[in-house]
Amino acid sequence: MSVSKGWVAGMALAVLVAVLVVLSAYERPFRWAVPDGLPLPLVPADNPMSAVKVELGRQLFYDGRLSINGATSCASCHRQELAFTDGLARSVGATGELHPRGSMSLVNAAYTSRLTWANHLLDRLETQALTPMFGEEPVEMGMSGRESTLTELLRSDPHYRAAFPRAFPGDDDPYSILNTVRALATFVRTIVSFDSPYDRYLRGDSGALGAGQEEGMHLFFSERLECFHCHGGLNFTDSSTHANAVVESVGFHNTGLYNIDGAGGYPPGNTGLRELTGDRWDTGRFRAPTLRNIAVTAPYMHDGSIEDLPSVIDHYARGGRNIPEGPYAGDGALNPYKSEFLRGFELSSEERSNLLAFLEALTDRSVLSNEALSDPGAGSASGGK
Amino acid sequence: MRQSRGRPGLFPRITALTAPACLALAGCSAPDQSIEIPFSVQFGNEPIACSQAAADMRLSDLRLFVYDFHLTSAPGGEVALTLDDQPLWQGEQVAMLDFEDGTGSCRNGSAATNATVHARVAPGAYTGLRFRIGVPEALNHADPLQAQAPLNHTSMHWHWLTGYKFLRAGIARTDVNEDVATFWIHLGSTRCAGSASDPQGCRNSNRPEILLPGFIPGESMVVIDLAPLAAATGLDEGMSADCSSGPAETSCERPFAIFGLDFASGEAVATPDLIRVTKQE
Repeated sequence: MSVSKGWVAGMALAVLVAVLVVLSAYERPFRWAVPDGLPLPLVPADNPMSAVKVELGRQLFYDGRLSINGATSCASCHRQELAFTDGLARSVGATGELHPRGSMSLVNAAYTSRLTWANHLLDRLETQALTPMFGEEPVEMGMSGRESTLTELLRSDPHYRAAFPRAFPGDDDPYSILNTVRALATFVRTIVSFDSPYDRYLRGDSGALGAGQEEGMHLFFSERLECFHCHGGLNFTDSSTHANAVVESVGFHNTGLYNIDGAGGYPPGNTGLRELTGDRWDTGRFRAPTLRNIAVTAPYMHDGSIEDLPSVIDHYARGGRNIPEGPYAGDGALNPYKSEFLRGFELSSEERSNLLAFLEALTDRSVLSNEALSDPGAGSASGGK
Repeated sequence: MRQSRGRPGLFPRITALTAPACLALAGCSAPDQSIEIPFSVQFGNEPIACSQAAADMRLSDLRLFVYDFHLTSAPGGEVALTLDDQPLWQGEQVAMLDFEDGTGSCRNGSAATNATVHARVAPGAYTGLRFRIGVPEALNHADPLQAQAPLNHTSMHWHWLTGYKFLRAGIARTDVNEDVATFWIHLGSTRCAGSASDPQGCRNSNRPEILLPGFIPGESMVVIDLAPLAAATGLDEGMSADCSSGPAETSCERPFAIFGLDFASGEAVATPDLIRVTKQE
């Protein structure tokens, strides 16, 4: 009988150990910071959310060692205080190469059906994360062909050596690029923003919108201005999706920024969706970015060619931008590929300031300062930036 | 050149040895035999490498996927080769060739190289070779991070196009160790539909097809000659150019023609000018 008792005791111990292992791996259950009544984001079945994975992704996001110069992290071009943009017209990679386009906000990326400025293919954060890390045209983080350097870092850094097995329990070799992008995507999915004055107004706080902002909101959602056709929905972009969405919405639009030689042309190397499809009707088509936190993400447009929000409103009011001279001269309002929603409008000066005030009501101060989304700091094992 | 040399005459000898064994078993077919297909890279008739100049040109990159190998025989017959699974370079019936060694003009590569395809084929009297450059469509849109070798080389991934770079080639015109002009091409399928989560295929396949009559197993070698690319793109006159296969990139038209591809449709319409057969060294 002693054998049997020993077996029972052994089993009990094994069960206890198993329970402890599971508890330590899931010590904090993951909770979305999404207010009641709003739909949750879609999450790929092969990369479920977990608190430990979010925390690992946060460490990786702020770690400059993921780049060729040891200093350029995801956060270099996606700074929290700028709603995860970088304040530059066009971003600069780890080798100093100038990107043709500006850094897009990561706020509510989990709700975004197409992730970049002009690519109908990129619908997974896990896939997108590979482009800044390994892309060569242009070089962003510059890790192409350096995958072993990267996995060696994950294995040798004491923090990562412990964190990867916890974030990916049951994985024989958790120190992989696959798990790196899974953790990064998991962290980025937690950058949600639904606490702007506008959101609080929608939730019943009628005093949340200040002077002129309510009037500006009505203008924004009017057929006269047409803003909401491309910047509508819960994330102020028509390229949105969520867990309850019946149809995934995807939109790319030519907003009449250019019309080189009157033939609809855009500057070389930056012609929008056409670069992928080869279809001339896709010339100048770029994804509508979210307008959440738009007041802190200047400069504007895919190439940062409009400096501030009043100038953006002027551009849309005119129905396109006229460039009188220089290599890009042309009247964008006459661009043959322009969106039908860019018809132009007239605003009184009061209306104009109300519209601007409403755009400022889309700034969510909490997402700009939320500690859970911030740099875990130089004191951490991963060394911060 | 560091080539893995094939052994002349090996193929006929093995064929002769295995034939009697097969006769003893009713209905059997002869077991497949090993075959090595050696590749080399030249500029005109001179060898070229990352640190070895030919006509003032050096290699700055040459990595490519090859697949769909067939040996052809005299009366129009052909038989498919089965590629061996090999660590790093061969798997899922795709092989990767890698001529850059991270030295000289090859700034972003690695030391490892591979210039030989290892396969098996039924015995026969073969007089030609056919293969394609690229990754088969069935493998081209799978998650590269979960792929087996050779499809797991991140430098061959084209993440934002949700496929692979089938080939990346580069030539640097050199002048006292300064690269004064460069040409590079990244070849892959374009005008793809669907998305990363739901790929729907690509309108422009961009997979060159290579027909090499006169290729004798065990005696012949496949030569990739970069001189036609330099001539077609103006590099030999000192002009820099590049092509990343974009459907609106007019700079791709001439290099695509050298690869035997129609730029507008992405169809293979001719045997590439830059590939030929020579006798093994």
